[in-house]
Order: sequence, then C-alpha cells, then structure tokens
Amino acid sequence: MTTAIELRGVGKRFTKYVDTPMLVTAAARFRPRTRRDKLWAIRGVDLEVEDGESVGIIGRNGSGKSTLMTMIGGITAPTEGSVKVWGRVAPLISVGVGFHKELTGRENVYVNGSILGLTRKQIDSRLEAIIDFAEVEEFIDTPVKFYSSGMYVRLGFSVAVHSEPDVLLVDEVLAVGDIGFQVKCFERMQEVRARGTTIVMVSHNLGAIQRMCERVLFVNDGTPQLVASPDEAISAFHRLMSTSTETVVDAGSGKRMEPGVVRIDDIELIGKGGEPTGAVEASDPIVVRVHAHALQDMDDIVVKLLLFGPDGTVVYGDSTADQSLGSVRADSDITCDAAFRATLPTGTYSAMVHLERPDLRTTLFQSSLLSFFVNGRNTVAGQADLEARFTLGSAADRHRHLQSLTNLADGDGRGAGEDVDDLETLFGRTRR
Amino acid sequence: MTVTSITQPDQITRAAPSIDLHGEATPLGRLARETWKARELLVILARKDFHVRYRRAALGVLWALALPLLQSAVMAVIFARVGHIRHVGVNYAALVLTGMAPWTYFNMALASGSTAVVDNTDLSAKVYFPRALLPMTQILTSLYGYVVTLAIVLGLCPLLHTPLTLHTLLVVPGTLLLVSLVCGFVLVFSALHVYFRDVRYLVTAALMLWMYVTPIIYTASDAPGSLRTIIDVNPMTGIVDLFHYATVGHVGAMSLPLAVTAVWTVVLLGAGVALHCRYNRVFADLL
Repeated sequence: MTTAIELRGVGKRFTKYVDTPMLVTAAARFRPRTRRDKLWAIRGVDLEVEDGESVGIIGRNGSGKSTLMTMIGGITAPTEGSVKVWGRVAPLISVGVGFHKELTGRENVYVNGSILGLTRKQIDSRLEAIIDFAEVEEFIDTPVKFYSSGMYVRLGFSVAVHSEPDVLLVDEVLAVGDIGFQVKCFERMQEVRARGTTIVMVSHNLGAIQRMCERVLFVNDGTPQLVASPDEAISAFHRLMSTSTETVVDAGSGKRMEPGVVRIDDIELIGKGGEPTGAVEASDPIVVRVHAHALQDMDDIVVKLLLFGPDGTVVYGDSTADQSLGSVRADSDITCDAAFRATLPTGTYSAMVHLERPDLRTTLFQSSLLSFFVNGRNTVAGQADLEARFTLGSAADRHRHLQSLTNLADGDGRGAGEDVDDLETLFGRTRR
Repeated sequence: MTVTSITQPDQITRAAPSIDLHGEATPLGRLARETWKARELLVILARKDFHVRYRRAALGVLWALALPLLQSAVMAVIFARVGHIRHVGVNYAALVLTGMAPWTYFNMALASGSTAVVDNTDLSAKVYFPRALLPMTQILTSLYGYVVTLAIVLGLCPLLHTPLTLHTLLVVPGTLLLVSLVCGFVLVFSALHVYFRDVRYLVTAALMLWMYVTPIIYTASDAPGSLRTIIDVNPMTGIVDLFHYATVGHVGAMSLPLAVTAVWTVVLLGAGVALHCRYNRVFADLL
C-alpha cells in the first residue's frame, strides 16, 4: 500500500488578537504592538493514512479535530511539522462552497465543481449524474435562492461526491437533509469508499464513524490520545466523556439533596460482556450500575433511572416506586443495578440515577450523568428503536387485517373472533 | 514479503504530493504552478461575479456601461462650464471621456480587488486555491465593462472633433500596463486587508482624492505648482497621459510619468507576490 496522507509532528498555533489590527495606528506607531494571545489548537500529530483507507477523527468540541482537517485540506499551513497529501483532495467541510443564491443550480454546479478542482469538461460529463443524484431536475435552471434548504444541500453534496477525488475530507456533512437523503448519502459514501477513495472524516455522529472508518484518531484538548480501531477509540472517548467535568451535572460526587443518608460514589455502564464500557450496540443488554454507601439504616429505598437522549430530552424514565428493594443497613456499601436493553437509535445518551426515600418522596442523592454511545441500526430514526418487523403479503391479506381491526373497534364480536386469530398469527409470526 | 517488494518501487517513483506543507510560506515556483493550474477557475469565478453583479439590475449589463459614461459626461459638463479649466486646443469632452475610461477601471478593480480575499471568506475558509485568484478575479470582472466602455468612448471621439489615428492603438499597451499596475496594487492590498481591516476604508477614501490628483479632467500643465509633486509620483498619471496621447493628442509629459508608472508596477507586483507567498496558506486563519 502507498501512503495517501502523511502527518509528521503537526501542530497549529493560532493568534488571537485582543485589538483589531489597524493600518492607520500601525503606520502612526500609535500603539507599538497589537495585543495578542497565542494558543495551540493542536500539537504533536503523527499519522499516516494508506491509499483507500478510511480514518475518523473524534473528540469534543474545540479539541482541534477541525483544525487538523483544514491542514489536511491545505486550507491552512501547520505552524510546525509537515503535512503531505498525494492526489486530488476534495474537502467536504461544508457543502455548496461558492454557491451564490442569484445563480442557477446549473451555474453553481460549474462554480462549485471548479472550486473542487474539476475541469469544465469533467463537469460537462458529470452534470447529468450530479443533477440526478440531487433530485433537482426541474429546478436546475432556477436561481438557488428559490431552493429549499434540502435541495440546496443535496446539490452541494452531489457535486462533492461526484468530483471523484483521491482523498475526500468529510466534516459533519452527513447530518444534512432529510432521513431519506441521509441514507442515500451514506450509501454513496460507501460506494466512494469501495472505489478506493481515501476518506478522512470528522463527526460527532460516532455511529457513522464506526461504520465508515477502519481506524480512528481520538484527540482531546489539542493532543492526540490514540489511533485505534473505531470500537477502542470510541470507547476511550466515552470513558473521557463520562468522567469529564464538562457534563451537565458536576461529575464524580453527584448532588447531595438530603445529606447524611446515602452517598453515590460511582456510576458506570456495564456492557454485554460484563465489563464497564462507553459504547454499546443497539439492543444489547446493558446495566447502569451505581455504587453507593449508606450512612443510615433504611427500611426501603426507591431507585429512579433517567435516560436523556442526544438532544437532552428524557427518552426513558422508570423507578422502583411500586416495589420494594429491601432494607439497607447503615455504613454498608450497596450496588444498585438497572438492567435494560439498549433499544435506541444511534447517538450519545446520558443516564442518571436518583435515590429517593419512599415515604417522603424526596431525593436523597442524585448521581452524576453517565454518558455513553449507542451504535444503532442504520435504518432507525427518531427517539426509540421499537424494532418493527415488516412483512409483505397480498392485497387480500391486507384487506382482511384491516377488516379485523375495524371489527374490533366496532365491537363486532362475531366477525372479530376469526380475525383476531389472524392478527395473533401475524404478530406471532413477526415477533422477534 | 511479496507485497512490500511490489509496493516499494512504486513509492519511490510516485508523483510529488499535491499538498506539501511545512512552514507557513509557499515557495514562489509552487505558487506560480498552482495559480497557472487554477486559471480555469479564475475565468469561472470572474464570470460568476459578473453575472451576480448585473443580473439583478433591470437593464442588466447596460448598467455596467451606463454608469461610468454618465459619470464622465457629468464631469465634462460641470468642469467645462463651472470650473475654469484652460483648454489646450483639444476637445474637453473627449479629454474627460478618454481619461475617465482607464480611471473608472482602476477605481472599480482596486476597490473590489483590495477586499476580495476577505469578501470571499465563504470560499477561502473552506477550500484551498491560491488566494491571489480572488483579487485577480476582480481585475477580470471589471475588465468586461472596461473594454465595452472604451469601445464606446473611442466610437464617440470622432463626433467630438477628435479623429482616431494610428496612435489610438496605444490604448492596447496602455491597457496592459493599467492591468499590471492594478494587479500589483490589489495583490498588496488584498493581503494587507486580511490583517488590517481598515484597508477597505483607506482605499475607498484614497480613491476619492486620488482622482483629483490625476490629470483626467485637466492637463498636467494646468495643475497648480503645489500639486505637481503629487501628480509626478502618481502612478496613474503616466497611464492617463498615454490614453490622452492616443486620442486627443499630446497634452501631458508622458515619458517620465510612464517611467514612474513602470517603477510602481514592478515594485508593487514584487511586494504583492512576496506577501502572497508568505501568507497565502495562512490567510484562512484570520478570516
């Protein structure tokens, strides 16, 4: 294999100007020097990417991953070290670069294509495929200011993937358009990858990283942490995230609501293999485990689990309010498990456990947030993976099922009995 | 073992990397090659710019021509009637029109070219191409309007008792010199503007005064002594003199001002290229 990208000791230092530099004041020596701060956005990156390899870069916001991408794309030069890339690079750092709203879709394809390094002839020959993929045939001669945002993004993405570069740099663009187009983009990316294009991608969508990449570079605070398999790197990332002080609630000790009763020392996620983990597969049986210490005797204690989705909403909440977990003795260590299946779409979730007093309905202790990643199924969208089973039958079958549902609703017992059997057969057949 | 023996020679003979960065500066040869390779993009960007500039206007491209001509006409009328400009045996309207044609181009290309790198942040922060392309695009865009304006002005000359002669062909080298001078200016200013954001206002302000220290609506011999020094070092004096010489006849000193223009052009081009070599790859950091 030959090398496509070679980074040696790459570092980038940015200068932040406190005052806006002015030629007038500089010329008049009004102020001898503009006040400035210098900071390293990223430093010490060594990475070699082989031809045809897909490498992901993950890290928190501001960890330097996008800066690294701009250097691989040649948009900015490193302050130290060297960057070498062989072949034509197409940065998909944002779609539709150079699009102008007054120009028609067709004109913008030419501008955008040229910016991505295509010649006029190459664009001529690919124009049809580009328009086709973007699904904008009827509007191709309309100024893009009349486009919906979806059409705009589709056209931009289409030009980029049809530019057939040797190295494709992808930065968060897979999160564009509706779900149908996202699936299409993803498939197209897989094709591009299968054709032997080298891909470097930065994304917060760890599911996409896991599916697309062979190796992942994990950076934190401008320092490369490790280059490893996607599973290893994502897991390391989540270990960091779950111990991070930047999570919503103060980490470590959690929040003491009523002191002197119970204390939560730790919260962790146990994966399918019985080991603590930061990333799980969809539908894996997982356990949110809390290690606590009782300071008083308690006849009973209520455990409440809250699960927050990627957007911060509560995806699931449950508690033991209707059951008894038994008594707890003072000065003893207790472990509390909440086991469930991760029937969730791809994303980063946070779990939190509250310990409550059953009689007073007051929270005794609230754990810190435990962040983990679920690698969901490709086809799933929305808040939960309800694991729908799809079947296909003749129109007559369908009609009968519809009939039975109507009969049930009408309370027509006579016809329903037979059809209920049918429904049960249906569900029986489709149940996992 | 077999695999390595196959790939090893391949690695040695393979082409040079397309991106090869160490340090912030770009070597001159490399920048020149990159710019040459991107010439098609330059034309496409210029065409885009031209479309965008005039598509929305009801009269379209006509505005590009009508405005400078109207401005020249107003100047000619006002200064001929109100101002006490001595006529040195030439048609005053022809003098103003032929002087205003290169000036209008200089004015437009310099104003838009100086801010081009910053104005196109959506391009320059997202993808790499030689940043010098952006000010150069403005030079090309303004050239469309200039060529048509010049053709109309030359067409009007015989009507203004200024017959065209073989000397008129001097507008061709005059235009080349003008474009080179503007190129030098915009390369320098576009680079400075990324760092010093007040360059935009300084250029606008300078252009307003600049026109009056260029012998467009008067001849150099009419100028008061106090302005003579400024007129003499003004790089536009030589070009306007040349355009006047090509049409209305010998009204300026010409050869010395042209030498001044040539020196300015060489120095500015040198400085502009040096600035772009040094900062080409790091402009994006400040955008």
